[in-house]
Amino acid sequence: MRNLFVRECGNYKTSYSDDMKLFGTSGAKVKALLIVAVVALVPMIASNYWVGLLTLCAIASIGAIGLNILTGFTGQISIGVGAFLGVGGYASAILTSTYGVSFWISLPLAGLITAVIGGLFGIPSLRLKGLYLAIATLAAQVIILFVISRWTSVTGGTSGMTLSRPEIGSFALTSNTSYFYLSIIVLIFTILYATNLLRTRVGRAFLAVRDRDIAAQIMGINLFQYKVMAFAISSFFVGISGALLAHYTMIVSPELYDFHVSIEYLAMILIGGLGSVFGSILGAVFITLLPVGLSSMVDILTVYMPDLYQILSAFKEFVFGFVIILFLIFEPGGLAHIWLNMKKYFKLWPFSY
Amino acid sequence: MEPILEVEGISLQFGGVKALDNVTYHINKGEIFSLIGPNGAGKTSMLNCISGLYQPTSGSIRYKGQEIINMKPYERTTLGMARAFQNIALFAHMSVLDNLKLGRHSLMSSGVFSGGLYVGKASNEEIAHRRKVEEVIEFLELQDIRHTPVGTLPYGLQKRVEVGRALALGPELILLDEPMAGMNNAEKDMMSSFILDMHEVMDTTVVLIEHDLGIVMGLSDHIAVLDFGKRIGFGTPKEIQQNPDVIKAYIGEETVI
Repeated sequence: MRNLFVRECGNYKTSYSDDMKLFGTSGAKVKALLIVAVVALVPMIASNYWVGLLTLCAIASIGAIGLNILTGFTGQISIGVGAFLGVGGYASAILTSTYGVSFWISLPLAGLITAVIGGLFGIPSLRLKGLYLAIATLAAQVIILFVISRWTSVTGGTSGMTLSRPEIGSFALTSNTSYFYLSIIVLIFTILYATNLLRTRVGRAFLAVRDRDIAAQIMGINLFQYKVMAFAISSFFVGISGALLAHYTMIVSPELYDFHVSIEYLAMILIGGLGSVFGSILGAVFITLLPVGLSSMVDILTVYMPDLYQILSAFKEFVFGFVIILFLIFEPGGLAHIWLNMKKYFKLWPFSY
Repeated sequence: MEPILEVEGISLQFGGVKALDNVTYHINKGEIFSLIGPNGAGKTSMLNCISGLYQPTSGSIRYKGQEIINMKPYERTTLGMARAFQNIALFAHMSVLDNLKLGRHSLMSSGVFSGGLYVGKASNEEIAHRRKVEEVIEFLELQDIRHTPVGTLPYGLQKRVEVGRALALGPELILLDEPMAGMNNAEKDMMSSFILDMHEVMDTTVVLIEHDLGIVMGLSDHIAVLDFGKRIGFGTPKEIQQNPDVIKAYIGEETVI
């Protein structure tokens, strides 16, 4: 094997299959394995609290990748993600708690149910674009939450439902560490699936629909079919994410899937980078850890300025909005673009000319 | 010579405006056919009718004898019909390679599951079609920019990629809407030679919309002339040059002072 720290200075590929590999060089393969290994070792060094936080990051990443497939790659804006998370969560809650289905079956089923409902709400996308579609998906948010909170016999109404942690044989994943591994494994599958999908026929069609829908049509793409498909695939992952989250917090109730959750997920992909799988993860981690970082900052500041606590407690919303505005103005490409620029810089560093 | 495309009595009306008025002509298999006329004559509208973006008010379009007037645009692609747009309509954020691969969309079959797993069929298919796309890249001399996002390319190259994307389908009939608009003479020469090669080497039937009459007369086997939505001439370049209606439309009437 070649030296890992030496970067390729040219293109040495001699076949198309080599050129089209996901991990083109042995270095890239080792790097990916290293990242997985480091992530797997995290629970050994991090506190239980941090393992819990990172689990939330991983679950949010799955949902953010889902939303990015729809909004970032296919260009169909959706502000109903919160409700679709709810569909996933409630589907799994009803399947496991009411019908006694095993978690391992209810997880993919929750994804499929959300995919069907997402596809249904994607039908207006044939006629509606941009802002109008956004309002239509907002309707999805309102309708779904209305159904959830009123259909008391099935969903338990506003009081919600309780769930249990999944079990493998007699071993229940009750610890944060075990659930962390579960979420990471699902996340890895999601990343691989999304990356592969986006470099093959269907994914290219999604990008084409986003960039030029009329030309896409002439190139043989059935717009309606692909838009609905994008809604379904996206909702599938959002549903999986919702189900994972529900079994992690062990509770589902309507207010957990409020409109502000949709906005948070949109913020994740905006800050992370529209149209980037890696960016979705960065954005999800950023938004999930933002309140944690802010509250610890508030804790430190109140020691010196006790009066400030009242003001700073409202600080979260302010920073949240401010960060989004900053990103839209200064780095519309998001964290993923910043990362790319850094990589480019260090590729030639220190002789960048 | 059998016709590959027969256009019969096509009319297209937008409100009170008659964009096309009872236009009839036919295109023979394997020829270079040009559609000319002053600005706003209805040339692009005609192509939109052929590729299915507009639904004509009346008339019939037959492709190899088959009526296609009620087919959806994406269905017409499967017949072997490809189109390059006048105002570049490339997928700006995708690489040249991906744009061309997208041109082969209807020939590929991997779906949501096989594509996402990228095993067996999907990866074999990607590689097989990559090979085909590389032939087009070589033909249009796009090798050095194959991985570049199309949006960052200069205009002339984008025009060439636009033609390439249509050509990637391996079409029997290719519709080129002003492929040489805004090009300098050297670039026009290059594009003309590509068009001749498509015709002679690849045996593709070419439908060309072009304003440069010198090039049109040199390349075409047959020409149809539109003016205000009406067909005012149809024939070989020689016939068109002597057609009094065409001369009137282009140069104006002789006036006695």
